Amino acid sequence: MSPAAKAGAALPGLIDRRTPRWRAWLLLLPMVTWLVLFVVAPTAILLVYSFCERDEVGRVLFTFTLDNYRRVFDPVYLWIFARSIYYAGLTTVICIVAGYPVAYCIGRAREEWRQRLLLLVMVPFWTSFLIRTYAWITILKQEGLLNGFLRLFSPGTAGLDLLYTPTAVVIGLVYAYLPFMILPIYGSVEKLDGALIEAAYDLGAGPLRVFSSVIIPLTLPGVAAGTLLVFVPAVGMFAITDLMGGARVPLIGNVIQNQFMQARDWPFGAALGAVFMGLFAATYWVMLRLGAQEEDSVA
Amino acid sequence: MNPMVDLRGVTKRFGAFTAVNDVTLPIASGEFLTLLGPSGCGKTTLLRLMAGFDTPTEGSVWIGGEDVTHRPPYRRPVNQVFQSYALFPHLTVMENVGFGLRMQRVGAAEAAERVHEALALVSLTGLDARRPHQLSGGQRQRVALARALVCRPKVLLLDEPLSALDAKLRRSMQLELKRLQRQLGITFVFVTHDQEEALTMSDRIAIVNAGRIEQLGTAHEIYHRPATRFAADFVGQANLLEARLLLQDADTVQVSVTGGLELSLPLAAWPAGATTALLAMRPEKVHVSRARAPADFPAAATNIFEARIEEEIFQGATDHLVLVTAAGTRLAVVVANESAYGEIFHAGDRVFCALHADDLVVVRAE
Amino acid sequence: MKSHRLILPALLALAIGAGSARAAGELNLFGWSEYIPQSVLDGFTKETGIKVNFETYASNEELLSKLVAGGGSYDLVQPSDYAAEVMIRQNLLSPLDPRLLPNLKNIAPEFRHRPHDPAGRYTVPYMSGTVGIVVNTEKVKTPVHSYSDVFTPAFKDRIVVLNDTREIVTWALYTLKLPINTINAESLAQARPVVANWVKLVKVFDSDSPKTALLNGDVDVGVVWSGEAAILWKENKKFQYFIPTEGAHQFIDVLAIPANAKNKEAAHKLIDYILRPEVSVLISEAFPYTNPNQAARKLLTPEQLANPASYPPGSPKLETFRDIGKAAADVDRLVTDLKSAR
Repeated sequence: MSPAAKAGAALPGLIDRRTPRWRAWLLLLPMVTWLVLFVVAPTAILLVYSFCERDEVGRVLFTFTLDNYRRVFDPVYLWIFARSIYYAGLTTVICIVAGYPVAYCIGRAREEWRQRLLLLVMVPFWTSFLIRTYAWITILKQEGLLNGFLRLFSPGTAGLDLLYTPTAVVIGLVYAYLPFMILPIYGSVEKLDGALIEAAYDLGAGPLRVFSSVIIPLTLPGVAAGTLLVFVPAVGMFAITDLMGGARVPLIGNVIQNQFMQARDWPFGAALGAVFMGLFAATYWVMLRLGAQEEDSVA
Repeated sequence: MNPMVDLRGVTKRFGAFTAVNDVTLPIASGEFLTLLGPSGCGKTTLLRLMAGFDTPTEGSVWIGGEDVTHRPPYRRPVNQVFQSYALFPHLTVMENVGFGLRMQRVGAAEAAERVHEALALVSLTGLDARRPHQLSGGQRQRVALARALVCRPKVLLLDEPLSALDAKLRRSMQLELKRLQRQLGITFVFVTHDQEEALTMSDRIAIVNAGRIEQLGTAHEIYHRPATRFAADFVGQANLLEARLLLQDADTVQVSVTGGLELSLPLAAWPAGATTALLAMRPEKVHVSRARAPADFPAAATNIFEARIEEEIFQGATDHLVLVTAAGTRLAVVVANESAYGEIFHAGDRVFCALHADDLVVVRAE
Repeated sequence: MKSHRLILPALLALAIGAGSARAAGELNLFGWSEYIPQSVLDGFTKETGIKVNFETYASNEELLSKLVAGGGSYDLVQPSDYAAEVMIRQNLLSPLDPRLLPNLKNIAPEFRHRPHDPAGRYTVPYMSGTVGIVVNTEKVKTPVHSYSDVFTPAFKDRIVVLNDTREIVTWALYTLKLPINTINAESLAQARPVVANWVKLVKVFDSDSPKTALLNGDVDVGVVWSGEAAILWKENKKFQYFIPTEGAHQFIDVLAIPANAKNKEAAHKLIDYILRPEVSVLISEAFPYTNPNQAARKLLTPEQLANPASYPPGSPKLETFRDIGKAAADVDRLVTDLKSAR
């Protein structure tokens, strides 16, 4: 028997143990490919661009500069960041307040009703986002449906001046993102064990206290997921500020869009985007850490 | 003395389905009462009616002498231990047990003392800061118990609380629950489908079937004198024999049972004027021996007959036999393996059987 | 032109890409969305047998980035003046052969030899337009003929303007009598307080469809693309268009052949076909901009010629944009800052 064959004979145990690992990687391949193509590569391009310069035509020159980041921390843009966070925060809070009862009712509804009610939440998605936004313009404009309706009850009033105001922007944002709050909360409400609610009643909690000390804490994960799903895209939204807000108050999404479309300053746009992304990564990380610490303190 | 819990003519319907059908059930103060029945029989609904999670369609529910029919669960002096324990996953052991006291706005110092007392009562100490998911099944069971007991309820409702535990743990918890109940003197209403559990723990057992109470009595009564075919069949094992009246004299009746075996039983046990009846007989009531009249045959055994052992299954403490009498009646019989030097039975053996007339119980067939 | 900017067509154009195979007798056209009637292209194919592959873009920036990146091979493109200027400077355009364009004589002289192509060697005007004032004369009875007439407290929250930082700064420079194509720190410093006051008065910033707010009655005056104003006028004569007295931005969209075009002959044929009066008039009917083709103008109806947004009366001061290079970033920052501060 040759040495090689001997080695081969001695190895089967090892090889057997290793093959599944290779297969596991093979199974992961589609996901890894997806991640590389749609997450890693775009992020890498964004980061590289953010350190580049533009030439007069708007071409990206592959030099190294920190100027774009210096510009991001210009108070002008910092204020816009802050305002975007405020708008998105307000939107998120309204979505929680408006979406929670809806999600709760659907989640506690009878089985056969649940699917139908959920469908209603999704129906708006069957129409294009732009069309739905224009529908809101038709409702909110001065000679629109809302004011026409109000005049039915008190003729001669001037009506509300809503369109092209910050209020309209928040209405549009809440409308656009409400389903993303309802669905995850619904998920956690549906999973809620009815026995826990009964146990709380049994232990002397009235309906309000059952809600505040059992239902709310137990559906908090859904609220957290909804918050993430609403807050993050709401910060970057630009179409609604343009269409319903009359582009009067620029949010960070508008500034970034502007760099790519009008100002032809891709590197600066990329730097804004990178900071934006870093901000969320940091927030997310901090939230995770806080969650982990709580778990640790318990154990 | 007034009963602690009193169901008066209670009926509960869900749509077209009648879960509880005209049940009247008084439960004495300090009693350990078990609602025993198969799943879907209505026993859990009865418990929910007492807890206040359901309101009866008809009838009324009284607890501690007060009509609580329309009182919500949080205003009833009862607490429940749930089948799934229903511990709050976001709260620690300490907070779970203290939940009821917090709802009653008991002061922090007193609450802490009572929580520790309750945890000591269920022998669960040193785990105050744990969350439910960090506990074993038995530990969760104890937390659930402590959480209910800490509120000092007049009645403790237990909905199959031991069903999720393994057999060994279940047995020790049964004894512990019984001990607790005696120690605290609280009325326990215990729901189970496990007849052995019911027999072990209860002062009284209510056999529930199809929304009705089939029989209410002590464990002894239920076991030895089942009232219905269902009660006889559901609790322990029973030979159910269709009996036809042959002869009647001053104090006994002579009957022929399925297969042709002839037996006699006291006239008082036989339903007046009936020509047929259903008899129930526990398998261990038959005394078996190869000798015709061994010394240990009960003197009072009025029924003696011959049989052949068709099947023998050795189960350690007991031997399970299937006998066929000369007339052709098949009987399931259990004999105790009292001594290694006693009789050993084998399939095919011919044996003599003795059966006390009082051990033949007439049960309602429906 | 810019008024046709919509996000969807832009994305579609990007998604479809530019790499279509070409056989002899095919022409790859890259033009603005909603700017060339399909009937014109069909007529051309019918007459010459040349198949036209038509792709569209929604902004000059999109066209520039595609050509600069070397992506796609187009035979004919349709940039605006300042974009054409950049392309000429970057040697991205091929000189035209006048012998193949006999109909070039139809173009009015004032549209040729403009600063973006002084020698007229690379581009042929397609359509032209201006940025001016549109007034709802039913609501506004006072004359509004200048930028300073528009931006007064009387019209607070009754104004729509283009959401375009360079445009807004240009109007401010006009009122300050400063050059609009030489932008430096000093001129921006002067423009700053003017723009700061203006943005406080504006109700809507919209480049895509500024006519919407006017039609809906949400605003009464606007500074918008003439094409938008022309459509408003066709809809209702109460919408009157005025070229601001201080001066106005004029844009000239041109036809040009990229340096790397494969079928330059067919491209010349299509340019010359479009220059025919009877073809050019079809474009005017569909898109009421200012037609630089004087032979075609003779075929227009009196109604079309009377549209003040298409053919403003008098001889106003009009200037095209020149590329301002990196100053664009300062303009952008200035307006963003002032809008943000309101």
